[in-house]
Amino acid sequence: MVLVLALGDLHIPHRAPDLPAKFKSMLVPGKIQHIICTGNLCIKEVHDYLKTLCPDLHIARGEYDEETRYPETKTLTIGQFKLGLCHGHQVIPWGDLDSLAMLQRQLDVDILVTGHTHQFTAYKHEGGVVINPGSASGAFSSITYDVNPSFVLMDIDGLRVVVYVYELIDGEVKVDKIDFKKTTAAHSAH
Amino acid sequence: MLKGKLKLPDKAKRAFPDRLGSLVAGFEDKEDENRGSDLVFESGEELETIQPNGYGSGGESENDEDDEDYDEKVDRESDLRVRPKPEREGPGSVSVLAAIAADDKRSDLEYELSQPEINLEKLQRIASSGLPDGGGLRATAWKLLLGYLPPSRDLWEKELIENRLKYAKLKEELLVSPSQLTRKKVGALSYCDHPADGVVAGPLKRHEISEEDHPLSLGKASVWHQYFQHTEIAEQIDRDLQRTHPDLKFFSGDSSFSRKHRESMRSILLLFAKLNPVIRYVQGMNEVLAPIYYVFSTDTNEQNAANAEADSFSCFVRLLSDSVDHFCEQLDNSAVGILSTLSRLSELLKANDEELWRHLEFTTKVKPQYYAFRWITLLLTQEFNFQCIMRIWDSLLSSPYGVQDMLLKICCAMLLCVKSRLLSGDFVANLKLLQNYPDINIEHLLQVARDLSSDPSTYRLSLTL
Repeated sequence: MVLVLALGDLHIPHRAPDLPAKFKSMLVPGKIQHIICTGNLCIKEVHDYLKTLCPDLHIARGEYDEETRYPETKTLTIGQFKLGLCHGHQVIPWGDLDSLAMLQRQLDVDILVTGHTHQFTAYKHEGGVVINPGSASGAFSSITYDVNPSFVLMDIDGLRVVVYVYELIDGEVKVDKIDFKKTTAAHSAH
Repeated sequence: MLKGKLKLPDKAKRAFPDRLGSLVAGFEDKEDENRGSDLVFESGEELETIQPNGYGSGGESENDEDDEDYDEKVDRESDLRVRPKPEREGPGSVSVLAAIAADDKRSDLEYELSQPEINLEKLQRIASSGLPDGGGLRATAWKLLLGYLPPSRDLWEKELIENRLKYAKLKEELLVSPSQLTRKKVGALSYCDHPADGVVAGPLKRHEISEEDHPLSLGKASVWHQYFQHTEIAEQIDRDLQRTHPDLKFFSGDSSFSRKHRESMRSILLLFAKLNPVIRYVQGMNEVLAPIYYVFSTDTNEQNAANAEADSFSCFVRLLSDSVDHFCEQLDNSAVGILSTLSRLSELLKANDEELWRHLEFTTKVKPQYYAFRWITLLLTQEFNFQCIMRIWDSLLSSPYGVQDMLLKICCAMLLCVKSRLLSGDFVANLKLLQNYPDINIEHLLQVARDLSSDPSTYRLSLTL
C-alpha cells in the first residue's frame, strides 16, 4: 500500500499565494510515501514545503520554475507500476491525448502524469493511463481563469491503483475515486 | 561392551514411566542415570551457549557438575551417540540424586498431564519446582496454569480450535490495511463493468465517495485515519522487536526464521494495542511476550507449534490482565497502580528483614521505584538470561496465590540474596548492583522466595488466573 501524491502548477507566488487551507490541513507528513510534482511550483519555498510532507520528492521542470535544474521528464517505478512525469508544456497540442500517448510510449511507462492545462483529467489510452492532477492552488492558466484547485493521491497496491481525486468546489473538498488494474499482458509491441 | 547392552533396559524404562524402576536401576549402576538425566539436557539446544569448562547456563545445579571432565570422556562415550557425561564420583553423588529427581519429576509431570481430569493443585506443585525443557511439557503446563486450557482433557480440542479461529478472525478484522478493505468492498462491483483488458480507451470513470473513505481523511470514524494513528504504535513495536533478545537466534538476525517470529509477535502486539486503546502498547510488552511465544513455538507437537501465534496471544492477554494496571499511567498513584505495588514490596522486605529495609530506605535512600519498576512490570524478563527466565516463570505461573504475589516474593528474595553487598554499599553502588542484578543460583533464589513470610494482607487466593 503505497501512497503517491501527484500535484503541480501551483504558480506560487506569481498567480496564487498558497495552497487552499482545506488542502493544507489534509496534507500532513507521515502518510505519503512519494510525491510527484508536474512543475511550476515556482519558488524554493514551495519545494521545501513539499519536502516536509515527504522526503521522496520528484519534480519535472515547468516553464516558470525558478529552479532550472529540474529534469524535463522523469520516470520512476513504484511497486508494479512505472510512472512517467513531465510538465506538459513541451507536448503540443497542449493536453492532446495522442501526443501525450507518444510521450508515454517514449518513456515506456504505465501511468503518465502531466500538467500545464490546470484541469484535472484521467484517461485510459492505448494500454496506459494519463493523469493530469490540475492545479493544486487554483492558479489561472494560459487558457482559462476558471480553475478549481485539485490534486491527486494514488494508492498503489500490487497490480491495482486507486486514484483519489481531491477537488475544491465552492469552498468544499470533494473526493472522487478511480479504480484501475494493470493487465499483466501489458504493452504489446506496436 | 557392557555399556551398550545396559542401554536397552534404560530406554524401556523411559518409555513406561515407572518411578520405582528408575529409582532401583539408579542405585544399581551409576552409568545408567547418566543417560537417565540425558532427557533433561538434550533439549533447549538452540538456547545453550556452550562453555568449555564451565558452568552451564543459569544457576541450575544439575548443569554445574556435568561439564567437568568433558574432554576426557568424549572418546570413551562417543559410541553412545549422546552428549558425554562424566562419571559421577565424590561430589557427583549429590547430582546423582538430582538427576534421578529430574527424571522422576518428568515422569510425574507426564503422568499428571495424561490424566483425563487434571489436578491443577498438583500441577502447580510440580511446576513450582521447575519444568523440564524440551518436548511440549512446559508449553502444555503453562497453558493449563494460565487457564487457557481447561482441566478436563477432552475439552482441549474444542477450546483450542475455537480460540484459534477467534484469533484468525480478529486478525482479519483489525490487522488488514485500508487498501485491502476498500478492495474487498469494491470487489464485486466495479469489475463487472470493466471489460477484461485495457482496450477500452477514454476517460476513466469517477466514483463519488464519502468524506471518510479517502487516505487523507481526518475523520475519527475513517478507517484510514485509524490506520495512520496505529502506524506510530506499529513503528514502536517494530523497533522494540528488533531489540528483543539480540543474543538469541530465535528472535534476532536476518534469517527468514527469526523474521517470521518477529512478524508473528508484531501481529500479536499490534492486535493487543488495538483491542486495548487505553493502555495500547507500552515498551517492554515485547519482553513479556517473548518467553511465552518461544515456549509455544518450540512445542514438539507440530499442531501446537504451528498455532503458537494464536495460543501466545490468548496467554499473553491472560498474563497481562493481572498486571495491566501497572501500565496505565493514570493509575500510578492509585491503590492498584505500580506505586502501591512497590510499596507492598517495601512492606514485604520490612516484614522479613528489617535491617536491610532500613538500610535501603533510609540510610542509602534507594527506593523501590529506582530498581523494582522494571522487575515488576516486565516480570523479571530483563534481569536474568533466557533459560533462567523460563525457570522463574515456572514458579511464577504455578503460584497458588497468583503471579503478583510470587513476583513480589522473588523480588524480595533478590534483595535478600545480595544483602551483604547492599549493606556495605552506598546509594550509587546499590543502585548499580540492583539495576544490573548479578548472576546467582536460581534454585537458591526461588527457595528463599518460597520461605519468605508473606504479608497476610496481600493474599489473593486464585488457583487459576
